[in-house]
Amino acid sequence: MKQNYKKNQQINLYPMRQPSQVMKLERLGSFHQTRLSFTRQLINELKSNKTQFEISKWDIDNNGFGNAVIKTIFNNSIFSLVVFCHSINDEERSDRVIAEKWDMTFSLFKGVPSNIELDKMSKNLKIQELGRHLSKQLTLSRANKSVRIFRKVLDALSNGKQPSKLDINNIGYLVRTTAVYGNGKFGIGDFSFDSSKSVLNKPFQAEMLTVYLIRYFSIELINFLAEKKGGKKSVKLSNKISRHLGVGNATGLGMAPFLINHQELIHKWINTRETAISRVLSIKSINKNTQKQIINYIEQGYRYTSQWNVDDLTQANRIKNLNLDLKNIINCNELLNLLNKNYPLKSLNDYFKNKICIETEEILHSIFIEPFPDIIDDLTNQMGSVEKKSVVVGYNVKEIIEIIKENYKWALSIDVNSSDENYFFWYTSQAKLEPRIGVTNKDDGYEKQLPFDISHQVQKALKILIKLPKKMTASEAMINHPEIRNIVRRIIINKTSPYSEIQDNLVGKQMRPIDLLRCKLSFFGASKYDPKSDLWTRITLFQGAPLPHQLQEENSCDWLFPYLSDA
Amino acid sequence: MLTVSLNEVYSETYKALRSVGIEWGLAKDCANLSKWLVNHDYYFLGSVLKTADLYKEKKLSTSIKENNLNKPLTSALMGLLLVEYVSANKILWKGYLHNPKFLLASMGLIAQEQNISLVLKNSKNSIIAYTNNQKLYVDTKIFNNLTGYFFLETYEFNNNCNPLSLVQNQRLEVSKINKKCWDRLSSMAFETYVPESEASKSGAGY
Repeated sequence: MKQNYKKNQQINLYPMRQPSQVMKLERLGSFHQTRLSFTRQLINELKSNKTQFEISKWDIDNNGFGNAVIKTIFNNSIFSLVVFCHSINDEERSDRVIAEKWDMTFSLFKGVPSNIELDKMSKNLKIQELGRHLSKQLTLSRANKSVRIFRKVLDALSNGKQPSKLDINNIGYLVRTTAVYGNGKFGIGDFSFDSSKSVLNKPFQAEMLTVYLIRYFSIELINFLAEKKGGKKSVKLSNKISRHLGVGNATGLGMAPFLINHQELIHKWINTRETAISRVLSIKSINKNTQKQIINYIEQGYRYTSQWNVDDLTQANRIKNLNLDLKNIINCNELLNLLNKNYPLKSLNDYFKNKICIETEEILHSIFIEPFPDIIDDLTNQMGSVEKKSVVVGYNVKEIIEIIKENYKWALSIDVNSSDENYFFWYTSQAKLEPRIGVTNKDDGYEKQLPFDISHQVQKALKILIKLPKKMTASEAMINHPEIRNIVRRIIINKTSPYSEIQDNLVGKQMRPIDLLRCKLSFFGASKYDPKSDLWTRITLFQGAPLPHQLQEENSCDWLFPYLSDA
Repeated sequence: MLTVSLNEVYSETYKALRSVGIEWGLAKDCANLSKWLVNHDYYFLGSVLKTADLYKEKKLSTSIKENNLNKPLTSALMGLLLVEYVSANKILWKGYLHNPKFLLASMGLIAQEQNISLVLKNSKNSIIAYTNNQKLYVDTKIFNNLTGYFFLETYEFNNNCNPLSLVQNQRLEVSKINKKCWDRLSSMAFETYVPESEASKSGAGY
């Protein structure tokens, strides 16, 4: 029997975790997908809006080159994925953002493009960042075929066979994107332009729709090519295998500054996630059916982590510990007792807290949130933010100092004169304007560094502020000392948005950029993180998500942990 | 002529100003004000370039106290700080302003975001603009963007205030950007980038 958790929701919520606990790189770098993630939100929206999909143009030749348009009718708005497939040599195929040729280029277009617009896009999409794009374009993207699997799958299908499940699981996608640009880049439309009216008004929904349609296209393409190659003996990819195929993505440092530059937005994301955790930990009791669901998700998590194979030794070790922790939880004799207790999820959480690694703590949070759409899904409306351009007036110097001493203890504790705490600097590379990190006193560009040395700036500002009259307004302090404007703005934002600041030194030797990427990617809904160094990772998006024709099936939105049996 | 997005206006302005050594916080303010101007159908590009040039030549003041006709306070860089300062301290500020349309943008932003009522008067004590109920009103007949002496203060709105023209948010995409000027802004922004090196090659894909 379905229990109505909305009615049972506790008035006194379990306290949310403090920013000092959550906003550490190690923990942020352990986050997993949740039902709040943007891919999950998109699938829920597509389902509830009964979105229609139509391949309105398919001008692809027998070699897989040409142009296609996939139209979606989403809540009375039309969006079209415009695709161009190009012929490139194997040696030109690169995951690097600075590549200049790709197997496929894409754009999500608002409405249906005219022939003139398609013609313009045919010239500009293939050169991506070097082109000038139309304001009706909402995104800009490109992808390469996975050389490890694309031909293998094509050969199998054209010979009437399904591809090896082991290969499918090991790779997880047919194509891998190397960038998905949105929000006004290179002339495409600004999201803020009419976001209040747009059906894609939640964060990153246009980008996620783009990737979802790329996934759909990649499956349609391989089926089409298999038929062209194998004729009557060919078969289509099975639904089961198709569903286990996502879209790969190679993600590097380009993504990291977003978390630092968009304080209010990051606060909203983390605050929403922490609120969700707090809400489920406050549930007083759960029925047998929900208990079963929780156990089922832990088992799914165990199976998912068993199929999560990476070369990176650090991550492989973390996955091993996570897998072992989940196995121990499943085998724990106390598990059912804990779920039968008052405040069952809190009990389970407390019981295992000191027995499991951080990765497991965070995957359990994803699991705890999953069965409770009634009390969680409304939170997705709180994940967007219109960031203030002005600095809130009304603070005085004394109050700013108090915020620093209270909220920035972590920054004050850093020895900013130590070489280890000045080990890295962040800069923008001339090559496609990508953010990069350099080593201080070794690499060029220190004088052009980006202002990500937050702890250093806080300490400098404090030295200035303590010399000023306590009652002086913060505005007066800033107008007399414009050099502290940037950091005082951050400090004031942090007062009301406490999850807005990563509480580690982002230029210190211990900093691993991969943790920043992992945090953001978890909100995107990525799975199978596959770090290739501390600086970049491959991931999969939409693996396990329903295909367009499966959206209206029962439980179609239940895809927390992608898993392929017999793989 | 070139069409650029609001996001491009923001990011290119921000970086271009950094290339002449303007503080991060001020460069960000000016980038946001430029976006506001675009959204409200005002030109911004020539003014930003001029501001950068004059700043480099030390012909603009960033001091609210020390400014004059020859070295006026730059409202492109200091406008937002100035309206915050006047709002927070509830004082009358008077002085010479360069590019006062950026002050209008600042008044518009603080009105919209913090609902603060401000009034701007010219040297003849005529009201040029005021904010009320989160909106900006401007006397389009007497406002021009020339350097001049101005008074800025907070005020209590009453119905006796002369009704001025409401500055509407046009929600415009940027169009009719002069390509030559834009190229100059972009080349200034480019100066903030670092040439590719072995270190920079350590990102995604390697």
